[in-house]
Amino acid sequence: MHKHTNRSVKPAGFSAGILFTAAVTCLSWVGPAQADEAAKQRGLEIATAVQAQDDGFGDSESAMTMTLINRAGKESIRQMRSKILEVTDAGDKSLSIFDEPADVKGTASLTHSHATEPDEQWLYLPALKRVKRISSKNKSGPFMGSEFAFEDISSQEVEKYDYTYLGDEEVDGIAVHKVEAVPTYEHSGYTRLINYIDTDRMVPVKVEYFDRKNSPLKTLSISEYEQHLGKFWRAGKMEMENLQTGKRTILTWSDYKFQTGLTDKDFNSKSLKRLR
Amino acid sequence: MRAFVTSNRLAIASLLVSLCYTPSVFAQWDVRGNVSTEVLVFPHTASHSANQKSSVSLSSEIELYTDIGDAGSLTITPFVRVDRHDPERSYLDFREFIYTHVGDTWEARVGLGKVFFGVAESANLVDFINQTDSVEGFSTDAKRGQPMINLLLTRDWGDIDLYILPGFREQTFPSEFGRPRIPVPINTDGTRYESDDRSNAVDFAARVSTIVGDWDLGAHVFEGTTREAELQFDPTLGALVPFYSRTTQVGLDAQATLESWLLKAEVVHRSGQAFTDHIALVTGFEYSFYDIQGTGADLGIVAEYLMDDRGKDGPALLQNDALIGLRFALNDVNSSEALLGVITDLDGDGNLLSLSASRRIGNSVKATVEYTGWSTDKASSSLLALDREDNVRVELSYFF
Repeated sequence: MHKHTNRSVKPAGFSAGILFTAAVTCLSWVGPAQADEAAKQRGLEIATAVQAQDDGFGDSESAMTMTLINRAGKESIRQMRSKILEVTDAGDKSLSIFDEPADVKGTASLTHSHATEPDEQWLYLPALKRVKRISSKNKSGPFMGSEFAFEDISSQEVEKYDYTYLGDEEVDGIAVHKVEAVPTYEHSGYTRLINYIDTDRMVPVKVEYFDRKNSPLKTLSISEYEQHLGKFWRAGKMEMENLQTGKRTILTWSDYKFQTGLTDKDFNSKSLKRLR
Repeated sequence: MRAFVTSNRLAIASLLVSLCYTPSVFAQWDVRGNVSTEVLVFPHTASHSANQKSSVSLSSEIELYTDIGDAGSLTITPFVRVDRHDPERSYLDFREFIYTHVGDTWEARVGLGKVFFGVAESANLVDFINQTDSVEGFSTDAKRGQPMINLLLTRDWGDIDLYILPGFREQTFPSEFGRPRIPVPINTDGTRYESDDRSNAVDFAARVSTIVGDWDLGAHVFEGTTREAELQFDPTLGALVPFYSRTTQVGLDAQATLESWLLKAEVVHRSGQAFTDHIALVTGFEYSFYDIQGTGADLGIVAEYLMDDRGKDGPALLQNDALIGLRFALNDVNSSEALLGVITDLDGDGNLLSLSASRRIGNSVKATVEYTGWSTDKASSSLLALDREDNVRVELSYFF
């Protein structure tokens, strides 16, 4: 349970990959249709536009309910709150506080995210009053036993992916740009993602994830967007379906607050101890 | 013991008063906690007078929290246990009863508090503020609330933590009716202190800590009564009695977090009149495999070395020992986890084996099963005292 929700929990893949790292050499799956430079350029432009429209949100707070649904339809509920501080020219800082299930109540995590360096992370265990520095290497593991991996919900910097524009389509009557994203960071559980970006609002409405064998793994549907402060779009609902196991996880957000006056000192390892 | 009970009565009284006459500056109380039932099973008959082969107890810890004004808060955390056999294990303790005030670059706390320092898994030599509640179990993390006045100063380069600790809390021990324990009973009525002020001696501590890239670093100095009891035989009581000496301790702790590797070290130097000056050390690593074969499960491997340069003649049990541990987490809906730990005396005196597994049942209940066993094949080993005390502990906890 040691990573946590960042920003608006933007689906992975929206951080342009300018770097041509080792991971990109795995691009052979693209196969005969080798992506040309123009498609890459267009993909990067779209990704950058998605990211850019979120600039200047300052800080935000929100509450999240996570519903885990197994194949038999049995549900388990998790509740958490998160706080995010935008850091200009660097990765954002974020806090998550767990409220449910009750045995993890008061557990909190802190992340200082970075675009190319590994994130820094701390976990607070309330029963022991212990703050533990933890490794941020776990990208592909499940977050809180859900169908969301840590990499799906961590801060999305442009540099974390390489993009290729695949054309325009429609998803549930919404005109979208179809953009493929290949993780440039290590230890990802995916060979690639396909993002479907609403051409009007420039937000993702669907993401398809492909596993390490390039088989379809998960589909994320994002809906109930609301605009805050007349600029920032935040999703109200995300549903992740695992195509291989039939399990689903639904995230719903509420109580969004922006620019509440959070500062750096709310995001250090000491502040973890006094969160409520 | 009696003074402690009295102070608890006072604490309960003031708790009731504050709950009943909540002034308007108090926002509402945030309440969380658990109620647990524990069964202990001993496969062997004891080599001492407590001959039960099983025991049962109930416990509850409740944390009450309220904001006081804009910058203050009050935290009250009573813990109570009722044990079927052991009166020393039937008790009430306030883990916390503390007022906190948060300023811009400082934080002040007054009351009974709980503080943790350290990075290692097998022992935390630098975790010197709170007394261990040994009666909760041999491998317990349970700590008794410590009276304190604490000032935390936040600087650009790190933190400065200053403590005045008025009043010493004794270590708890099982009574002659309790298990697991060593055969010779420990009688806390005969507790001895080096200081004439006994438990009223005031302790002082300071700690600085900082984060430099991948490194979390801390350094401390402590002037006061040692938390660790040295057991001495009292012929008139026919029992072992705890002895607490005065010490000046300086120490360092460090952790490097390097991808899958956590490198850890805690070292202290203690000097005093009543014992030989010495160095104690715990150092090692933790390596984790994440999302094994795409299953989502993690496996962590922990290896640590413990040293106390007084050696076998000294009172430290872990003086030349090694811990090998495995931590397996399924990361499933029920947070299923298993831990295996073996502490081996490198002089061949024996092993401590502990195995535990836990998972959530439904949304609010957690089940834990734990085995603890000691083994030795050396007649001179101090572990012989415990080799019939192997036990299985089953705990069901309801959280709210």
